[in-house]
Amino acid sequence: MFPAPKPSLTRVIDPPSASGKADVTRLRVVDGDSYTDWESVYRDNVERLYRLMYARVGNRADAEDLTSEVFRTALGPLRLASSKGEARSYLLTTAQTVLASHWRRTLGAPVTTIDPELAMASLAEPSGTEELSDAPQRARKILAALPERYRRILELRFLEACSIKEAAQAMGVSVSNAKVLQHRALRMAAKAGLEVEQ
Amino acid sequence: MTIRRLSAFLDALAAGRRPRPFQADPEDVEMISVAIALRAARPGDAMPDETFVAELHQQLAETLSPSEQTNIRPLKMHRGRAALVAVAAGLALVGGTFAVTETSDKPTVQQSATAVPQGQTLRTATFQSATGQVAGQIVLYHGHPSWVFMNVDLPHSNGTVKCELHLANGEVVAAGTVQLHDGSGVFSQSIHMDAGEARGATLYDSSGAVVASAIFI
Repeated sequence: MFPAPKPSLTRVIDPPSASGKADVTRLRVVDGDSYTDWESVYRDNVERLYRLMYARVGNRADAEDLTSEVFRTALGPLRLASSKGEARSYLLTTAQTVLASHWRRTLGAPVTTIDPELAMASLAEPSGTEELSDAPQRARKILAALPERYRRILELRFLEACSIKEAAQAMGVSVSNAKVLQHRALRMAAKAGLEVEQ
Repeated sequence: MTIRRLSAFLDALAAGRRPRPFQADPEDVEMISVAIALRAARPGDAMPDETFVAELHQQLAETLSPSEQTNIRPLKMHRGRAALVAVAAGLALVGGTFAVTETSDKPTVQQSATAVPQGQTLRTATFQSATGQVAGQIVLYHGHPSWVFMNVDLPHSNGTVKCELHLANGEVVAAGTVQLHDGSGVFSQSIHMDAGEARGATLYDSSGAVVASAIFI
């Protein structure tokens, strides 16, 4: 019903040269390379899509379920004549909808989202290096905006995976005090995060 | 009060477990978003497990027969949520193609996406409750036959909800009734109307009260 468009030829106009000669028009193929079968789509994108989902749900179980749902939904209708860029765009848009449904079911509100256009760059880059994610930089920015004790409780809990009891012991406070610290720290970090993104 | 559930959600997140669902308020959502951003920055956890990658590959191989690997498979309405996802993805793919294809008056430049649905052929809108919560989506397709598809998510609701379409000429047309199970339901059927005439849709519960509405842009 919705055939994916074939790779197209695009006119490219070079910027005017310093010599003042007329513009040169040539043709090039946009994302001309395509996948040969569903397995190549899968192998080329599974790791990237998983990492994308993990960065938006923060736990392995949900990231695996959502990654699975994206491939189960997208691979059937996907037309292999599409270019790699088009196939990835299709996967990302599917991922966007799958993630939105997940949050609607889980918390009734969109906690995190996927912007297919913004995510396209990370999906097109080589996989295998965690540095491609912007999560560490974002976390550093958020933590840097917090007072020492707030920063420490969040580091212990979410970067070092301490239980609330362990975090309380590490900070020399009671468990209930650690919970209050965590709550206030997250609330302040939420405001700081919004300012960081603006 | 959602503090206890929020606390349990954060505990699960910190421990790397799957958190349990609850109805979050806007402040909960902001805090959870921060917690996820921090958790996602933890070194070593962002890579997929090799076993997961292998098992998903195996499951997909069992699902996708060789004939389906090379042929276009039309979307089917009765696939419920999966169909809606695919429709939305198809729309974006069409849009994305236009975005990367530069128009030109040169006859040698080929235009792509000439065989895809155009204009008002396929229309989507999102249902929102009076409190602004997303309550589902609706898709109208104008063709032969025309059809309507909708998925509805109304947590803690059961029974049926009725959908009415509001047309540009002021008429109201019944689009169908969705049966909810644990707050969710999907519905599709052929319709006899011009999808381009629809301006909005409203969901009513069994008592006739409005539960959500959508506007086609």
